Amino acid sequence: MSSVPRSPSRSISGAFFGWCRAWVDAWDRFFFTPSGPRHLAAIRIATGVLCTWSCLVWLMDVEGFFGDAGWLRADEVWRMNDQPWQWSWYFVTTSPELRLAAAIVALIAAIALTIGLATPVAAWFSLGALVSAANRAPLNIFGFDDILGILLISLAIGPAGRAWSLDNRLFARGLRGQGGAGRGETGEERSIRGTIAIRILQLTLCVIYFFSGCGKLLGPSWWEGTALWGSVANGQYRTLDLTWMADHTWLVNLITLSTLFWEVSYAAIVWPRLTRPIALAMAVFVHLGIGLAMGMMEFGLAMIVANMAFAGPLFSDETRSRPAAER
Amino acid sequence: MRSRALKLLVSAAIILHLAAVIVPPLAGPPPASRLANAVMQPLRPYVGLLYLGHGYRFFAPDPGPGHSIEYVVTRPDGSTVAGRIPDARNDRPRLAYHRRFMVSEKIAAQVPPPDAPREVRDEARRNWGPLVKGVARRLLDDHGGEQVQLTLVQHFLPGPEEVLAGSVEPDNRSPLGSYARATAVGKSVAAAAAAAEGLQAAEDVESIAPGEIAP
Repeated sequence: MSSVPRSPSRSISGAFFGWCRAWVDAWDRFFFTPSGPRHLAAIRIATGVLCTWSCLVWLMDVEGFFGDAGWLRADEVWRMNDQPWQWSWYFVTTSPELRLAAAIVALIAAIALTIGLATPVAAWFSLGALVSAANRAPLNIFGFDDILGILLISLAIGPAGRAWSLDNRLFARGLRGQGGAGRGETGEERSIRGTIAIRILQLTLCVIYFFSGCGKLLGPSWWEGTALWGSVANGQYRTLDLTWMADHTWLVNLITLSTLFWEVSYAAIVWPRLTRPIALAMAVFVHLGIGLAMGMMEFGLAMIVANMAFAGPLFSDETRSRPAAER
Repeated sequence: MRSRALKLLVSAAIILHLAAVIVPPLAGPPPASRLANAVMQPLRPYVGLLYLGHGYRFFAPDPGPGHSIEYVVTRPDGSTVAGRIPDARNDRPRLAYHRRFMVSEKIAAQVPPPDAPREVRDEARRNWGPLVKGVARRLLDDHGGEQVQLTLVQHFLPGPEEVLAGSVEPDNRSPLGSYARATAVGKSVAAAAAAAEGLQAAEDVESIAPGEIAP
């Protein structure tokens, strides 16, 4: 029996719809495959510690950062950010006592996030506190605050308190008390929300490195391989004297060009299992280097914590839940 | 996920969020396209809400020299206090140092070099002037001062050859003006002029308007 040949236009449309279907399936697997809670929990604990530290430093000079007589008055903030969209609860705290109370609430929320107590509320409050502080004190913020915000968004989206948290312990104890769970059961459920939170963090990190790398491509010193020297010789940043590199130009070139290549290609090399360890090892090297040599340890650690988004296999409950395409 | 409709809704939310992550660094800082800025407009509320408006241009396009702001505060009894922002010795912990360092870096980003055309400097001053006034107000409050003289310092960034040769060039200094509480200006113009000695002209002696200083 001879088959009727399909017309070329039907073949093309069939291939096109098949391709679209493959995209839908891939999107479905990527975002909607449930995953275990430990990965996000590890990121929550690390972010919570950094957030707590940041809140303590804001608390050291609440009026200086957020007050009427601070570095920047509330009615001058529009000069540095996009009003009215960049909101802050410090715009409506009209007295020093209220501002102090708001800063203390932020600290309590950060501590609660770290230990996983009332985690969803703590995560949203911590995000609100971070956004409020950053939008009220734009003269005093830097990359650390940007990355902390990115981390907190994912923690607010996902069920960050379902593992290694007080919430989880209390929940499991409650279940046991009601006879609903056996000894050793933890209530660590897989969830799609957890996957979405991790995926958004992963994709955001790729965007950050892509634009950071592209921004560097505008600068001659990155092409010449000397940009690292600009950081090493800058006395305002320096916490580790690396000026001995003056006599090792090739080393400066190597580190500069490696950093540039790594940032520009991060979004491509971090997904395949074969190259992911290289991308993550380089992230640790670069960010620890920034932390130790330039005194920006908080920024360096925040970036390393964000890179934990790609370290799911380190957390045992993740192995079974990772999509086949990623494995 | 329970229903197809819910999955579609969540997918739309994910796309919106990812757009709000990708578009801001395309739309700024310059150079940026008009298209990116047009796409950015409807996203502004969401970007502002979640603090996503970042350019991610870390150490780009080139790592440049560091800046600090030197100050001399004159108290009512005539004594002076000198210092700088940031101050690596006294601004502890390091995160507090960086929060103060950003003050001088962000103001420096708005101050054109001293040899820039007069019109450029005047235009820029309209932006950085109010920011510097805030710094002046803060210093006057911190030190119980009557006047403060501010200077932006661009620190010398030596090249490898200069480090090897041990040569050091002077930092670039740009006067940011002298600032006094409004009451102090009225009380003693002579004192304000003395505090501004070495600056270009009396126009650099600015007052903070009455009512601007918190009690």
